[in-house]
Amino acid sequence: MTIDTDEFLARSGIDMRLLQQWIEREWLRPDRGDAALILSELDAARARLIRDLKGDFGVNDEGVEIVLHLVDQIHGLRRVLVELRRDMQTTRRSTIRRTRVRKVGQIAAKRRRP
Amino acid sequence: MAGARVKNPYDILGVAPAASAAEIQSAYRKLAKKLHPDLNPGDKGAEEKFKEVAGAYDLLSDPEKRKRYDAGEIDESGAERPQHQYYRDFADSDFGHYASDGGFADFAQGDDPFADLFRRSAEARANRRGRDLHYRLEISFVESITGGSERITLPTGGTLDVSIPAGIVDGQTLRLKGKGTPGSGKGGPGDALIEIEVRPDPRFKRDGDDITIDLPISLSEAVLGGKIRVPTPTGDVTMTVPAGANSGTTLRLKGKGAPRRGGARGDEFVKLRIVLEKPIDPDLRAFVSNWEAGKAFNPREDIAR
Repeated sequence: MTIDTDEFLARSGIDMRLLQQWIEREWLRPDRGDAALILSELDAARARLIRDLKGDFGVNDEGVEIVLHLVDQIHGLRRVLVELRRDMQTTRRSTIRRTRVRKVGQIAAKRRRP
Repeated sequence: MAGARVKNPYDILGVAPAASAAEIQSAYRKLAKKLHPDLNPGDKGAEEKFKEVAGAYDLLSDPEKRKRYDAGEIDESGAERPQHQYYRDFADSDFGHYASDGGFADFAQGDDPFADLFRRSAEARANRRGRDLHYRLEISFVESITGGSERITLPTGGTLDVSIPAGIVDGQTLRLKGKGTPGSGKGGPGDALIEIEVRPDPRFKRDGDDITIDLPISLSEAVLGGKIRVPTPTGDVTMTVPAGANSGTTLRLKGKGAPRRGGARGDEFVKLRIVLEKPIDPDLRAFVSNWEAGKAFNPREDIAR
């Protein structure tokens, strides 16, 4: 969901200066509409994560970059795993259906015999 | 507070009650790094544990709060952090455009079914369509019937011109193609989706393509008939009230309703309601009190037992 700048700052707990800085560093990559920023809940939650890393955890700027890079890869992998699971479920369902059809077919054939 | 006993914050962080501020911070960082929900995207239990640790740290890292806790003035329950949504909650959904395929790009090289899946996934990400943006627009009842155009000011400062088709209904959504966020690669931009909210009008009610209006008329208009002005969404029109009209008599103004598909229009139904002047004119009062036929008429005959 799109949120306005005020809500973004409230949710993420950072100020305008940090927002600009983190966008310059490409830690945050909000969508851009007609020149203006389009900030989302996702961006705010990501900013909050960066704030936790830098503040509470004492991670320095280089560290933040590495963490974000790895976190982004984890989410990429998670997405593929979700797709993989969905594919496997579809395959499994259609296999079960085919097995059932065969069984019913066999029963019908047996009945016809005597 | 039996049962729901909250653990001692020193135990949660694993430090002695005499621990220094530096020891507390270091113990917290050690635990939090392991437990932060965004660093454990698949572990649903991490959030609960992290909350506990963060709450304990909030209490003990503030010297004032810690002193009051040690003196028994406040307990652990005040230290709970308010709920917040973590990055992982959004990143797992389709909106997570930060997610990268660096973790599996090599798997996409082969020619097995998995490689195929990885390729498709990477391709889908490279050519992701822009997001749809949702807006809400309130228009007047009259505009919902006549149509028109509105300019929305976006939260980003830009504007969006919306042309409102005549006859739109409350809750309907207009799609402006390509007015969402830009896509990446070959994925086109998303759309702007505008949900229309029609402000009720004290005069008109809508019933499908038809409109109804309750129209007050005077006693003399009802008895003698005559021409009266009736509001419609497209402006006032003149209508003839037949002599002897009654409260509840409904007249139809053809084609004054909402447009239908195919060019025709619904109708406006005018429901008359006789309204007596207040206070009652002495002449009318004098007439009615001597009016025998009027006293003999019983309008409740049908419902009387």
